Amino acid sequence: MKIALTGNPNSGKTTLFNALTGQVEKIGNWSGVTIDKKEAPVRKKWVAGNEEIIAVDLPGAYSMSPFTAEETITRDFVQQENPDVIVNIVDATNLSRSLFFSTQLLELGIPVVVALNKCDLNRKKGISISVEALSYNLGCPIIETIATSKGHNGLKGLLEFAILSKGKSQKAPFDSSEVDISNKEAVEASDKKRYEWVQGIIAEVERRKVTANKQTKQDAVDRVVAHKWLGFPIFALIMWTVFSISQSSVGPFFADTLVGWIDGFYAWVEGLLGGGIAPVLRVILLDGIIGGVGAVVGFLPLIIVLFFLLSLLEDCGYMARVAVVMDKFFKRVGLSGKSIIPMVIGTGCSIPGIMSTRTIKNVRQRRTTAMLTPFMPCGAKLPVIALFAGVFFNEAAWVGTTMYFVGIFLIVTGAFIVVRITGERGSRAYFIMELPEYRFPSIKRAAVESFLQAKAFILKAGTIILLCNATIQLMQTFDWNLNVVADGAQSTSILASLATPFALLLVPLGFGAWQLAAAAITGFIAKENVVGTLAVVYGITNFINTDELALISGGDSVAGIMGLTKVAALSYLMFNLFTPPCFAALGAMNAELENKKWLWGAIGFQFGMGYIVAFLTYQIGTLVTTGALGAGFIPGMIAVLLIGGYITYLMIKGERLAYAKKKALA
Amino acid sequence: MENLIVIVILLVIIGCAIAKIAKEKRSGAKCIGCPHTKNGCHCPSKPTKKP
Amino acid sequence: MDQAFQGKRVIKYRQGRENPVGKATHLASAQLNTPYWITGVQTEDEDMQDFLFSLGCYEGQTVTILSALGENFVISVKDARYSIDRDLAEAILV
Repeated sequence: MKIALTGNPNSGKTTLFNALTGQVEKIGNWSGVTIDKKEAPVRKKWVAGNEEIIAVDLPGAYSMSPFTAEETITRDFVQQENPDVIVNIVDATNLSRSLFFSTQLLELGIPVVVALNKCDLNRKKGISISVEALSYNLGCPIIETIATSKGHNGLKGLLEFAILSKGKSQKAPFDSSEVDISNKEAVEASDKKRYEWVQGIIAEVERRKVTANKQTKQDAVDRVVAHKWLGFPIFALIMWTVFSISQSSVGPFFADTLVGWIDGFYAWVEGLLGGGIAPVLRVILLDGIIGGVGAVVGFLPLIIVLFFLLSLLEDCGYMARVAVVMDKFFKRVGLSGKSIIPMVIGTGCSIPGIMSTRTIKNVRQRRTTAMLTPFMPCGAKLPVIALFAGVFFNEAAWVGTTMYFVGIFLIVTGAFIVVRITGERGSRAYFIMELPEYRFPSIKRAAVESFLQAKAFILKAGTIILLCNATIQLMQTFDWNLNVVADGAQSTSILASLATPFALLLVPLGFGAWQLAAAAITGFIAKENVVGTLAVVYGITNFINTDELALISGGDSVAGIMGLTKVAALSYLMFNLFTPPCFAALGAMNAELENKKWLWGAIGFQFGMGYIVAFLTYQIGTLVTTGALGAGFIPGMIAVLLIGGYITYLMIKGERLAYAKKKALA
Repeated sequence: MENLIVIVILLVIIGCAIAKIAKEKRSGAKCIGCPHTKNGCHCPSKPTKKP
Repeated sequence: MDQAFQGKRVIKYRQGRENPVGKATHLASAQLNTPYWITGVQTEDEDMQDFLFSLGCYEGQTVTILSALGENFVISVKDARYSIDRDLAEAILV
């Protein structure tokens, strides 16, 4: 039997779904987290009898009239896929609005069971609801649930009633079937009556100690956190703390030990192999696989800490306030505050970030946000940042922080450019965001999430990264005649010959070496590959020092081997961070952009930005530090001017389009 | 002789990696190892139609 | 205007209530912490209008501004809190 979980956004549907089915779908304390329907069988322990129940988690909706894609999904599913029972999850702290949707669900003729969720909050807030009276008025069973609770959460009772309700008919307490749906005014009038009816019920059923119209402690917090001037610095400080803890203190602390083990493992295998093994095999196993994968896996603790902290951040309810804080900045570049949420999620992984842009109603804003989200360095880019910060800049904290700021700068610039190209500069888009209650974030939930991400990271390292490294090692060891490449004749290898043409393009950026080009290219498969490939290609498996993280066996030697000045290294880092993301993220972008023109525009834009930023960093940096321009300045400058010129051309075209539209309307 | 052992070990490692990737692809995951993969992952399978 | 459903009486639909401090015309110029009756919602975006309706924000309902945060306001409608921007606040007439 199939049950559909529906209800207002952020009412607890996905939390309930996870509890019922044992899945670990993403949750967050703001509306718009779930964007797709998900199905899974309910765990046996919640079901008294033998019934096989499939639960379907749907995105939140405020009413049956769909305004957003999520509400359409809900409406379509409920109307077309005939679930046996609808479980309407209602936020007990907000009956007034929630019951509007409930009454609409009750009209569908499918049995409804209401889960009155978050009742633990009601006790704290001094709200009491008479479940019997509500049940009588609505004409359906009502179970109190606390989806976040492990023990007494009401799930068993909920399912019992669901099973009992199966096959029964559902009488609608508020009947709007006589209303002509195509007549907008009639529908509106009917809905007004619907709200009145709900108000009447509430007057009977609910007693509040504190009315919602008065300010509370939460509002006091909001006034500070979303303050006109303080809001942004607070946000910046919080993000800085998250990155600092994961990349400069707690993360590296654990990474040290891990890296020590990896190093030890490498040495042990080396010892085992002894001297009798063919050097080719030795090099593939030791340097290609253990060294390459080991170099990446050493960063695992940073990833774990990062996702742990992000989960806490997403759970406490602060995200909605961040949207409020960023709204005024984003408004100036044609976006709204809502666009910041995908970007914050993107600091973990771009893919869920890009997917979450689905809740942005305005098509252009959604697409713009989707294509700009990858500019925020994701978890996979962390090892690259940490590696370069460590090797070239002595682990200085400013490196990582600067990368995030450059990302933000590129996002703002990008939004500015896009809104002009599309000619929608003057269009008005309103901002409205529901502010959920703050709550103390679940440590358990954060731990689970970071554990899952750790598992994923290791899995990725053991499969994709391992294969890439092995392949790169092979391509580097052999030339086209499948002979082993002699020491010193590296440039005759398969890899070198493939990568060198690309390397030429990169000369003006300061890193025109085939090894670096190869590493950057493998980055498209997975950004961690940049670290892995560099480790393989330079044979530096021992830049892992047991005393410091991922570092320098004598800082100079690694830097020297790569042949990069600090400026060039910074430039290379930026290139890898700000060019198009991994293929998986590109796939996510493709799905959200839904338009080939936008897709190629986005990729072109990302590549262009990465190139320009790297070029400027290298050339200006070299000029400043040595007084002379870097190699390949002229061809690079031409390329940059061409890119810049084309973008400017598009912007002017867009402005003309906007002007013409305006004139036409006037 | 030892060379052979090493070759076998290498093949096993690489074989496992390929097998794992193939398994994930078959169950529809676009991003290998993405933890929210099981059901309607954040990874796109089919974009939903917008109203 | 009374409606009866399943034998229950519904509160009367109030009309013509005066708002405190008659000067405020829209929410952006309203006083904090004071419930207002909405007299109209004038957005240029029909979808937004419908959306607000589904939240319970339409003529005859109450709205209160809880905080003014520069260009954004925190409002309370039907027991829920939302943050809206100035444009939207000016579109909600009280």
